[in-house]
Amino acid sequence: MTEPIVRLAAVEAGYRTAGHERRVLRGVDLEVGHGEMLAVLGANGSGKTTLLGVMAGTIPTIGGSVELDGLPIARRSRAEIARSVAVLPQSLELPAGFRVAEVVAMGRTPHDGRWFGWGPEDQDAVADALRDADAESLADRPVRELSGGERQRVLVALALAQEPSLLLMDEPTTHLDVAHATGLLATLSRLQRARGVTVIVVLHDLVLAGSWAPRVVVLDAGRIVADGPPDAVLVPEIARRAYGVAVDTAVTEGGRRVLVPHVPTGR
Amino acid sequence: MSATTAVPSLAFGPSAGRSALVIGGGALFVLLAATAAVTLGTSGIGVGDAVAIVVHRLTGIGPVTWPASAETIVWELRLPRVVTGMVVGAGLACAGTVFQALLRNPMADPYIIGPAAGASLGAVVALLLPVATAGWLGIGLVQTLAFVGGLLTVLVVLAIARGRGGTPVVTLLLAGYAISSLLSAGVALLIFSSGERLAAVISWLLGSLAGASWPRVAVAAPLIVVSFTLLLLRWRRLNALLLGEGPAAHLGIEVEREKRVLTVLAALATSAAVAVSGTIGFVGLVVPHLVRLVVGPDHRLLLPASLLYGAGLLVVADLGARLAGGVPVGVVTALLGAPFFLWLLRRRVTGVEDRP
Amino acid sequence: MALRRPAFLTSVALLFLFGLSACATAPGAGSPPASAADSGPPPSVAPSAAAAAYPVTLTDDTGRDVVISAEPQRIVSLAPSNTEIVCALGACDRLVGVTDFDDYPAEVADVDDVVIAASVDVELVVAAEPDLVLAAGNELTPSTVIEQLDGLGLPLLVLYPESLEEVYADIELLGRALDRASEADALVAGMEERVAEVVAAVDGAERPLTLYEVFHAEGTTYTAGDGSFLASLLELAGAEPLTGDAQGVLDTETLVAADPRLILLGTASYDQSLADPDTALATVSARAGWAELAAVRDGAVVPYLDDIVTTRPGPRIVDGLEALARAIHPDRFGSDQ
Repeated sequence: MTEPIVRLAAVEAGYRTAGHERRVLRGVDLEVGHGEMLAVLGANGSGKTTLLGVMAGTIPTIGGSVELDGLPIARRSRAEIARSVAVLPQSLELPAGFRVAEVVAMGRTPHDGRWFGWGPEDQDAVADALRDADAESLADRPVRELSGGERQRVLVALALAQEPSLLLMDEPTTHLDVAHATGLLATLSRLQRARGVTVIVVLHDLVLAGSWAPRVVVLDAGRIVADGPPDAVLVPEIARRAYGVAVDTAVTEGGRRVLVPHVPTGR
Repeated sequence: MSATTAVPSLAFGPSAGRSALVIGGGALFVLLAATAAVTLGTSGIGVGDAVAIVVHRLTGIGPVTWPASAETIVWELRLPRVVTGMVVGAGLACAGTVFQALLRNPMADPYIIGPAAGASLGAVVALLLPVATAGWLGIGLVQTLAFVGGLLTVLVVLAIARGRGGTPVVTLLLAGYAISSLLSAGVALLIFSSGERLAAVISWLLGSLAGASWPRVAVAAPLIVVSFTLLLLRWRRLNALLLGEGPAAHLGIEVEREKRVLTVLAALATSAAVAVSGTIGFVGLVVPHLVRLVVGPDHRLLLPASLLYGAGLLVVADLGARLAGGVPVGVVTALLGAPFFLWLLRRRVTGVEDRP
Repeated sequence: MALRRPAFLTSVALLFLFGLSACATAPGAGSPPASAADSGPPPSVAPSAAAAAYPVTLTDDTGRDVVISAEPQRIVSLAPSNTEIVCALGACDRLVGVTDFDDYPAEVADVDDVVIAASVDVELVVAAEPDLVLAAGNELTPSTVIEQLDGLGLPLLVLYPESLEEVYADIELLGRALDRASEADALVAGMEERVAEVVAAVDGAERPLTLYEVFHAEGTTYTAGDGSFLASLLELAGAEPLTGDAQGVLDTETLVAADPRLILLGTASYDQSLADPDTALATVSARAGWAELAAVRDGAVVPYLDDIVTTRPGPRIVDGLEALARAIHPDRFGSDQ
């Protein structure tokens, strides 16, 4: 695979509200190859969500170019993009009255289907998605009865039902406890191995990012200030620059480097 | 890729059996309602005769054993009225379902962004115009202006609510409310100065199928049928919109375009319905809710079911209206619909069903 | 695949609906095999005395030309005034449908009602198999109903007289329609004579400004409209009518400014509580602003019990005129008739 699945070149992007423009991304260059796993870190407002939006084609660029599988994303229809790219938003309220399997089936929307039903490909995709997301047992449950962790698994299944080559997730671990958060990341690794899907995850937890991601990208004020393996990226200078916090570096028994924030307790 | 064997009985969406039951039941309901409405009435035509008349007219079969007046009543009066009722009921229920999903508002009905107010204004203007032709009130003019008024209003509301980033649902609702109020004020003013035409105006506003005729059916039915057929095909997009506009976009839907298309299609059906039968209330609001209680929120089944039960219900309501002395059907739907709606609200408030 | 079934059934349902509407439009907007008023030999406007009275082309009060091809045997009347004309011309036995409001002559009580509570039941009209339908104008018979009946090919005459002359004309019109022209002439002549008597009797008398109250609610009085039939009757009866706007609406301020000398309570014809003169006076004086009216102070408030004949534009309209004259000029037109 020589062609990266996603390539951003000098991308500028932002939001326009009532008269003035807020530029969030200022010149971002990024290439992600097929099957890569990538964690995106950065302070609030640094542009992480915008970065995902640009890669999903839902946020248009003001400058620069975005290519998906070699083709400019602007030239692709939403449905085309949705067949390759699945996005898990920060929060998603599931509509009442549906069962889990029905919601996951909505992931089949971008794929041309029958007029009035679901075909065997859809059935298979949904079954695979539920299994891969470890949500098989939830298939018949009403969505309003799910716990937070269960809901997260269902959302992953929903994304997987699209049969994407690129999976974008915006802070999926924020509301999860340690067990569920690590479980989710483990699932993502498993998915990448099983389906070859490219995974880009925005994380806020430096420790989790350090222990999971083979590649970390750090954003600061709309620019990428670090891009590489965690050992190289997760250094105190970067943490100070990106987050404005002082950190201590620790090395685990397994030899991994983690950053531990310094909490000024005044003692 | 085939892993269905790993998950033995994965079936999503309502089971095939359930779908068949609901759709089949709906079709049966419509058929029964239509049959009842064609065979029952104030003039004592026997059930057998009524059926025989319809068969005779459609196929030419059978000796003619009934008086010409009976044939006129069944074929020229009752049958067009029944067909109009089915088509209007289906159109309104379908439009109501679509607006409830699109606007993510359970109180939405087909009139919420203005077609009723616009159609009313058009119709009342036509009713009050002193038409020079032989003293009649230009009946064709009423339907035409009502349809144009309804559709135009929705397009105006869409245009007003459209911003640079798209058409936010809340803006659409507010613009619809504002325009509706404005147009309703115009209607009220016209009512005030309607003089002897008041009865005709009120009757139209209440909604009635009494003026149904084959020429009207020929004009309105294709519009409504085409609209709801196209809407039926969009069930996946309607489901996705229930997740929210962002997630729907990620699922491949051109959200802004889809909102416009859905609005225009639903407005077409609504305007055509209102043009031929006045502003019949509650069908578009209550039928989707009732059907959703039984069938669930999946539009794959909800839309066709709403359509069928809306058609059947309006035909039944009109039969009741006829037998109750020629009351406008809008009165019957309001009398039945309002208590139903209150009952639905109570269910919601007391937490019987899932809260949105 | 099991999932195909709902799709199939839905398609069937849709096809059913399509098919029904398609089939239904095929025969086109039909007229029944009943006597088509629009076909037949070219109409000839036959003079009333000639032997060949049919077919005859008549122009009704809305300008429609209607061909009557044979003497009508089954008549449906959609307004009491039309019924009365038919009966006055001696064709009462031909009536097969009337309104539930018809009350004169007594025989019509036995005729089936096709109009119930002012709502025309088109099915019942058609079921009566009429060869002539008499409708009323000015939305008394809704124009939608008229159009529907017209569309079904029923011969339909719309009558809407707005003056005595027009009542005479309608009587003559029906006379020609029913081949009762001589009866019509005689009826009209009799009416004209009685009217002349009234006019002669009140000639030269002072004309009081008179308010004829049709209805009163919430501070607004409904009376004779400006230039209306009722206004002309009041004039013929020797009064100067106090009229409202074109619809007959009169607000209290205008009423007080005009200060009529005589008030005739047409509402007393329907409201028992106003039938007694003293009660009527008391009720009326209690209305805001009315106590100061000249008519009230003088006690010239008359419960008027003949509103029906005064407002029904048929043969008995002259009875109404006479009742008005008695009420306005009791000294001049007291015990006559």
